[in-house]
Amino acid sequence: MDEQSVWLGSLRRPARLMMLFTIAVTFLTAGWLIVGQLFLGSNVGMHQMLRPGGLPVVQLMLWSLLAALLSTSIYLSDTVGAIEDEPQGFFDILSLVTSRLAMMGVVFVVLVMFYEVVARYIFNKPTLWANELSLWIAAFVFLFAGQYAMQQRSHIRIYIIYDLMPRWAQKMSDCVSVFLIWVFAFALVWGGWNEARDKILRMETFGTAWDPPIPATIKAAILFIICLVAVQALSNLIADWHKAPEHHSPADDIDEDEIRKLRETLGEDGNG
Amino acid sequence: MVDIGTLSLILLLAMFALLAIGMPLGFASAFLAVATLVMKFGPDVLFGDVMSGDFGKFGRGPLNVLGQAVYRQMTNYVLISVPLFIFMAALLERTGIARDMYSSLNIWLSRTRGGIAIVTSIMAVIMAAMSGIIGGEVVLLGLIALPQMLRLGYNQNLAIGTICASGSLGTMIPPSIVLIFYGLVTETSIKALFTAAFVPGFMLASFFIIYIIVRTRLNPDQAPLPPPDPGDPEVGEKRKLFLAFLACLVICATAVLTLRALFFTVTGANDVTVGVDPILLGMVSDLPWLIGALLVALALILFVFGRERTLRGWNLGKGLVAPIVVIGVVLGSIYGGITGITEAAGMGVIAVFVISVLRREMSFDVVWDSLMRTLKSTGTIIWVTIGAASLAAAYTLAGGPTFVANTIVGMDLPSMGIILVMMFIFLIMGMFMDWVGIVLLIMPVFLPIVLKLPIEDIGYFGQLQPSHVAIWFGVTFCMNMQVSFLSPPFGPAAFYLKSVAPPHISLTDIFKGFLPFIGIQLMALSVLLIWPGIVSVFL
Repeated sequence: MDEQSVWLGSLRRPARLMMLFTIAVTFLTAGWLIVGQLFLGSNVGMHQMLRPGGLPVVQLMLWSLLAALLSTSIYLSDTVGAIEDEPQGFFDILSLVTSRLAMMGVVFVVLVMFYEVVARYIFNKPTLWANELSLWIAAFVFLFAGQYAMQQRSHIRIYIIYDLMPRWAQKMSDCVSVFLIWVFAFALVWGGWNEARDKILRMETFGTAWDPPIPATIKAAILFIICLVAVQALSNLIADWHKAPEHHSPADDIDEDEIRKLRETLGEDGNG
Repeated sequence: MVDIGTLSLILLLAMFALLAIGMPLGFASAFLAVATLVMKFGPDVLFGDVMSGDFGKFGRGPLNVLGQAVYRQMTNYVLISVPLFIFMAALLERTGIARDMYSSLNIWLSRTRGGIAIVTSIMAVIMAAMSGIIGGEVVLLGLIALPQMLRLGYNQNLAIGTICASGSLGTMIPPSIVLIFYGLVTETSIKALFTAAFVPGFMLASFFIIYIIVRTRLNPDQAPLPPPDPGDPEVGEKRKLFLAFLACLVICATAVLTLRALFFTVTGANDVTVGVDPILLGMVSDLPWLIGALLVALALILFVFGRERTLRGWNLGKGLVAPIVVIGVVLGSIYGGITGITEAAGMGVIAVFVISVLRREMSFDVVWDSLMRTLKSTGTIIWVTIGAASLAAAYTLAGGPTFVANTIVGMDLPSMGIILVMMFIFLIMGMFMDWVGIVLLIMPVFLPIVLKLPIEDIGYFGQLQPSHVAIWFGVTFCMNMQVSFLSPPFGPAAFYLKSVAPPHISLTDIFKGFLPFIGIQLMALSVLLIWPGIVSVFL
């Protein structure tokens, strides 16, 4: 791995080691739990994952999973993909880290669903947790995806008139946009604060068999992440302030890199 | 505070203004949701007397509906299918499945006039049935089929129009992301929408193919035949090879179904129980039929076609197997009663992944790159949903949809007139706006109106069942959005094709090539309007 580091610099190697170590611990613990569940008759399962009280192995599992997710996102955010802009400040990097978390989330959702379908239709033993778990993960994926799309400036906008404006007017428009995004974030927090606070203090649960604290966590996460999105919007405004006027067309959605890769997949002659 | 009529007008104007200054659509709607609440309740109710230091209203009040609307979207199980379908399409693009499918299809039709154009359309239909996203499809078809057609001297407009119009079918043939969003917004059964879209979707595709055939028969020089390939089998022989290949497919399919039915029988999952729907093709009574079909196909191969010919047919056609498996997994999961839409999308991801691993085309980079694209598109689409959901919640609280519906119904226009006006609005908006924005912002206002119209006035032939009106309108909307992919000045398909077309083809050329195909789409749309019962065929 001699790729250029984006922001970790000399910390890249330690970050990589940290990632490998935490992943190893997570897998070992998970493997131990699975072996215990299958062969040793332990009853530590998904139910205990939400209620770890007094079970050190579950505590270890949860903390190592958290550490593995975070260190992996940090390490992976150190490389930007061909379709991504270079990060230009602290909040760009933060968005990249959370985006890595969300990308892994998509994979987890797929795996959880696959597990559930196999368990339900082949072993006829539906799980109690797969549905809620994928909901829970997906909610974070959706929220972080918005932050990522904001950092990548890929939210849907209509440029017909914007492109006709002189640069100073574009700047004014951007200021207005960012200000209105802040108004929305402010209103959302203003209206939702008490509910989110009460739910997270009560650790309100979903009311199903597995009973994950979806309302408690998601309500708070919405308020928190909308603030991150608003901050990211401001950060974009500052970063783009001195850029030359840009012109947009729907062709911007297409990246040359993707087409190059498609051509590679299709072979030199491109005609099969 | 402000009456609902004024409020609606202000909202409309403000929306135009905000979009004009280039504010992201989702956030513009989200801000307007706040504005709606302020206009409805007045700042005092929402914020209290902050100026004199009283923060007693902080943390509660009507503004909480915004958070609740966002929360409802975030915990919507069906919405999870969106990133999964995008992920699946992204993975699919990076495999060679499409190329192999093209070669396989092309063999059977290489001696037919306009063959490559027809192959392009058929391929687009198959790809549309695998995933529900456009964009990738037009690019892929552009890369694979365009060079071939131009090299053979096909008419450029015909080639361009075929690729882009067929490539846009992705959102018309199930699974379709447009219908998923329509179902979410209007709380219509997505499975029913998919079922209803089958006939109109295939109708549109067959219109394209008929048009290609007629056009190339009338003007043979628009689609010259390729020089015969000496290794190519004769036409009669080809037909037999194709039938032999079909027999192979039948064997595979019946074998899988038989195993499935046997498995159910062993586990007792298909015991006949009163009140439980029988499993499609999975009951004990289906076994003789399945095994019978299997034996017939086997006998055909052994005694009619011969083993050698079958092998040859299989080798020529095997590029079609992977797509059929993917379609079987996705649509089979939905219609076989195995899973819902969301899990079907998840299974589709797994199927594409496994196929691509078997083809040795998978790597960490491919997955990671696809995930990046997935997340970017997801963020873009979902956050329009968040904004629109907030706006819809606020506007409903203010009594907006009822007001609009009453106004329009009270205007005493003929029902079909109202619907035609709506279609016109969709077409115009589709020229400038993404379908996501239209379905999320306009549908909550339009559908209640349609539901209030007298049912006997809808359409000219046949009668729509009252429970099918929402489904019909969804499919009609979907057909309408087909036009928006092609319509100038911003038809996305044109830009996708431009990025892969040879440089001498300009955007104007591309849009010129679209014209007859837009005409066909409008014709299909009018079939839906004249004969709405077409959606009920399979319902």
